[in-house]
Amino acid sequence: MTVPADDPEPNDPTRSGPPLLQADGAWLSHNEIEQLCLKAARGAGMSWGLAEEAGFAAAWLARRDVDGPAAILSQITQADGRSWHEICPEVTAGQVTARDGQELCPIALGTVLCDRGNNFIGSKQEPLLSVGPITYPVLLLPFLSDISKLCALSISLEWSGRRVFVGPNGEVTGDIPALESEPSIHAQIKVGSGPKPANANALRAFFVSEDTLSGLNRYALRTTVPASEASRAGAGADDSD
Amino acid sequence: MDCVSLNPFPEAAAFRRPPSEVMRLARMGCAHPTRLSFLRTLLRRVTDQGWVFDRPVWHVDNSGVGRAVYRAIGPERTYSLVAFAHDLPDEMRSDRVIATAWDATFAMFDGEPTEADLDRLQANVPLQEAGRISQKELSLSRANRSVRLFEHVVDRLAAGEQPNVTEVAAVGYLMRTTAVYGSGKFGAADLATVMDRPELNVPFQVEMLSVWLTRQFTVDIAEHLARVRGGARAARLDPAIKKSLGVGNSTGLGMAPFLVRHPILLNNWIMAREEALARVRAQSDADPNTVSEFRAALSDAQENARKWSSTHPSQVSKLAALRKDLDSISGYLALGSMSESDHPWDTLWRWGETQLSLEGQEALLALMLEPHGNLVDGLAECMVANERAAFRLDGSMTVGALCDRLEQAYDWALPIDFDLPDNAARFWYVSEEKLEPRIGFRFEEDGADLEQPLCIARLAKDLHVALQDWSRDAPIASFLVAHPEHRFIVRRVQATERHPYAEVRDNLIAADMLPIDLMRCKLAFFGASRFDPRSDKWVRISLFQDLPYPSDLSPEAWA
Repeated sequence: MTVPADDPEPNDPTRSGPPLLQADGAWLSHNEIEQLCLKAARGAGMSWGLAEEAGFAAAWLARRDVDGPAAILSQITQADGRSWHEICPEVTAGQVTARDGQELCPIALGTVLCDRGNNFIGSKQEPLLSVGPITYPVLLLPFLSDISKLCALSISLEWSGRRVFVGPNGEVTGDIPALESEPSIHAQIKVGSGPKPANANALRAFFVSEDTLSGLNRYALRTTVPASEASRAGAGADDSD
Repeated sequence: MDCVSLNPFPEAAAFRRPPSEVMRLARMGCAHPTRLSFLRTLLRRVTDQGWVFDRPVWHVDNSGVGRAVYRAIGPERTYSLVAFAHDLPDEMRSDRVIATAWDATFAMFDGEPTEADLDRLQANVPLQEAGRISQKELSLSRANRSVRLFEHVVDRLAAGEQPNVTEVAAVGYLMRTTAVYGSGKFGAADLATVMDRPELNVPFQVEMLSVWLTRQFTVDIAEHLARVRGGARAARLDPAIKKSLGVGNSTGLGMAPFLVRHPILLNNWIMAREEALARVRAQSDADPNTVSEFRAALSDAQENARKWSSTHPSQVSKLAALRKDLDSISGYLALGSMSESDHPWDTLWRWGETQLSLEGQEALLALMLEPHGNLVDGLAECMVANERAAFRLDGSMTVGALCDRLEQAYDWALPIDFDLPDNAARFWYVSEEKLEPRIGFRFEEDGADLEQPLCIARLAKDLHVALQDWSRDAPIASFLVAHPEHRFIVRRVQATERHPYAEVRDNLIAADMLPIDLMRCKLAFFGASRFDPRSDKWVRISLFQDLPYPSDLSPEAWA
């Protein structure tokens, strides 16, 4: 992402510009955010399919100016080393918990709810689902957005007297900064009417802090293999014509 | 766009080749560029819409160092390729993705850059991966000179002479790109932000425009250096020689996984091409003008096959077969069958299936599309993919239905015995060194525990085995709660329902798998020609060879 402090080739004639400052983080495109968070989530032990969901969630949030990359980093750090068995959502009538009272992973929960589609709440008579405790709950919003669009529903996420609404257009409004600051909540997901959120602004890059970048990169590196001379041979094109 | 609903040729469906035939590596590795290839679509658009090209900035000094701007001015928007020319010592020239210096570096600017934009880009673009570009840019790329030809051309032009045509033909380009990054890489704008523009609603249009303007730069910089060296005596490059020069490209393993990672995009590319072939085959007759255009295309293809050289054993035999096959097609035409038979294009195609090599058959496909622009060009609009729209999987699908889908769409994968070492000999991974994709030998190298999910056949088989323990009535949502490790492949399997050409139907971790087959298929869709594999892991190609230059469309700007 940034130029190494010790330039290995100081006489490189093509390096006509000053090196970028390392400490400042970087503006990442949504594509970069999605890919980096996917790799980091995989590096932290998520299955490839769930890691794709993590990448999706981070980019969805960044597109709406919410720090999805930081939330992903917090989540995978918190869940690092915990087995799927521990964070796997268990859905019973009107309630989702993790096994043995552990904390739910918002990516796993969001994915499970999306997979259940129209049936995500499980009970048409009582359109309400209690979930929790769930860590870094802002990561749930991209999934609620997909459910809202898929089922043409308004959904609200309520906790400690605060609320975020998700409209059938898949957009969100409400106390998003408060949700972003919560490391863990018990919440209720309700189906019903609410204010209609405006469509998200046009896409743009999102500034990712150096701490988040380096943290995510550290996890992403866990998916890579140190190169051997054997593997390097012939991998690229060394053309000398 | 849902191109199925717009299909004006329902009768063509009966002529479409099945995925079991099309999606095999051996055939994909024989793909030829067609008129639906992305660079051809670009050239059609800029020609039909009267785009204007010029070079408003050319600040290059006598040592060939400096910057230039190439503008492509369309009816609604302007794009500018910003080029930085460097003076690179020979010993630093490397095409590997791990290189840190190049002869020239480029960024495609969305609009017309100010001086401040150029200064910002000058501080970043020459660094390539180590720099950052912004939302105002759409691509980042670099190119190296062909040491052999570039120097020869400059030398001859400086002396007021033309380069030796044999030397020109032997290399075919002055410079080769070693990477062209688009779509949100290194801070550039996401493709999604510009896909609503008609000119970018075909895959890789920014990249193709970048390479085409780069081709102009390669000639401009050679002529510039010849003028510096030869002064008034220096010659301009002869137009015929100039036309025969493309932009070279060396493509390594990094590109191979792309088609596997983008199943819906792959489907849409192949579907468009297959629908095009089917439409041509569905024609009840062949009018004489179309047949004579076909003959002209055949003649060009024969000429191209004569000039196309490779020393790679597999390509050498493919080329020999291709030359023979093109002669056979010529012989077939001489029999006059095109004017006699019912559905003559289909008869020709079916003749080809029995008489021609795979290389010859895929060349015939390209030739058959060539005179049928009115019939097939609109399909170019169907080749983009909204991958996000297909991302959410259907958890209500039953285990039984998923099993049935697997058995139908992955029938090629399920019988493979992965306990046999040859069937699982390779593994795909990402190198820590440069984060580039590589392929290793599972039983000889470390790292297989970090395998990338490109072993689709085995993933499908593992899923099929796991599903057997579940009730056929259970929803797949329940299965995935218990088995999150299968989520990745379930998403793909479900996608095949509406995307029949989504999967490469071969074992990508088999001992005898050739990564160059994947690359050739992708590069043919770009419009690449003269494929010259240099190993089973990388291939040299040419782009835009024998096609016009921006200066041909706007000669006044290069007078």
